Amino acid sequence: MCYRLGLAGAVIAAVSLAGLMAWPIGQPLTPLALQGNVDRGAYLARVSGCIACHTDFAKGRAPLAGGVALDTPFGTLYSPNLTTDPEHGIGGWSQAQFARAVREGVSPEGHAYYPAFPYSFYASFSDQEIADLWAAFQTVPPVATPSRPREMIFPFNQRWGLKLWRAVFLDPPRTEPVAGKSAAWNRGRKLVEGASHCAACHTARNFAGARKSDTEHFQGSDALPGGEKSPAIDHLTLTTRGWDAASLAYALRTGITPEGDAFGGSMGEVVLYGTSYLTEADRTAIATYLMDEHEGG
Amino acid sequence: MKTERLFLGAVVASVLAVINQSVFAHGGATGVVKERMDGMGVMKEAMRVLTPMMRGQVDYDAAVVRERSEDISRHAGEALTRLFPEGSLDAPSEAKPEIWQDWDAFSAMAEKLRVTADGLAEASENGLEMSGEAPAVGGIMGDQGGSMMGGGMMGIGAGSDMMDLSQMPADGVFTMMGQVCSACHTRFRVEK
Repeated sequence: MCYRLGLAGAVIAAVSLAGLMAWPIGQPLTPLALQGNVDRGAYLARVSGCIACHTDFAKGRAPLAGGVALDTPFGTLYSPNLTTDPEHGIGGWSQAQFARAVREGVSPEGHAYYPAFPYSFYASFSDQEIADLWAAFQTVPPVATPSRPREMIFPFNQRWGLKLWRAVFLDPPRTEPVAGKSAAWNRGRKLVEGASHCAACHTARNFAGARKSDTEHFQGSDALPGGEKSPAIDHLTLTTRGWDAASLAYALRTGITPEGDAFGGSMGEVVLYGTSYLTEADRTAIATYLMDEHEGG
Repeated sequence: MKTERLFLGAVVASVLAVINQSVFAHGGATGVVKERMDGMGVMKEAMRVLTPMMRGQVDYDAAVVRERSEDISRHAGEALTRLFPEGSLDAPSEAKPEIWQDWDAFSAMAEKLRVTADGLAEASENGLEMSGEAPAVGGIMGDQGGSMMGGGMMGIGAGSDMMDLSQMPADGVFTMMGQVCSACHTRFRVEK
């Protein structure tokens, strides 16, 4: 009897595991019938950190050829090659595959991406924004450097586990406009909670690497990849530490803080390869939103 | 006899106090680590004074700009790199060991800091432009590497060697200098 129960349990477990591995994720691929704008797409790629994370600046490597290591508690990931190389980059992708990868975190083969890729924030992108990004990525010269395989530790190297992760932790970004707030404020919200994915570093993560959005939004993290720390950036903390919207917008342009320090670490990268290229209006929008009370996640 | 001892005691106490202050400033740093952290402190103080001026929040004072950028120049270049002997990572140093794996990049940035600080001193009379848009590194698409093609030259104000900094608005030079600080911290400073 006991034996039979055990056998039944094992069979159920094996069937569920097989089911989990075969469980399809992501929406069906549907082509977007939209013409993208290269300049707008390149700008969005800056805002979103594509260039910062997928370019190995320290080694002087080609733009968007990947290879930047991300040391997480679950193992090491390397940002993949996003150039138009058909074999090693995304040159063989369709626009629909690109859209699903960016907004849903699902690879052309149907695998789930690790949440180190902040697709959960990019879920807020409109079809037009995806078409713009796609158009911009088409202008990147091919680089035939293979993407470096990830080195995750067990059980995190089992990709099917990410399907469970998605089912439990994946939430839509909170970018919807808030009535009664200014246009700049709502633009800031769209950037901060969406494309610029500030919470990816400034919100602590739980045992499974999911952000504690409901309880610790923007409260900072002391366990960033590579052993770095990020400060809290809720509006009260920022105010207490001497920031205002103008000084924050200025720091996002120059990297210089009101106390005379200059950003380093990943915030230095964010400014050098990202926010220093934005319009003054967008930096002010980001600062306006961050310095005001808001519900985010 | 008694007064002598008291006097001696006072001397010892004050010597200890002085040692204490100099040794334990910067959370216990000593030697070369303390020296460079103090130097960074001088530069940070200069930046703290100059930043509101460059943002137009307080009145622009060319003499102060010259003086403070000279402070920075004095602690940049060779003066900075000589305080980073190989492997000097004693607590509470915030230096990354990558400094010695990529010494050329590190010393190039230190030198760039000196060049831009000297440039700012020379540009101090030029005053502010306050354009706000597009830093020295380039725009969004196409020009000077500001496109999908990544940032120019590791994010350090591209081509500052070729430009005549003394002819630029002071806030433009100041931004370039700040980008050098940030680029170096990004690669070579531990964020605690």
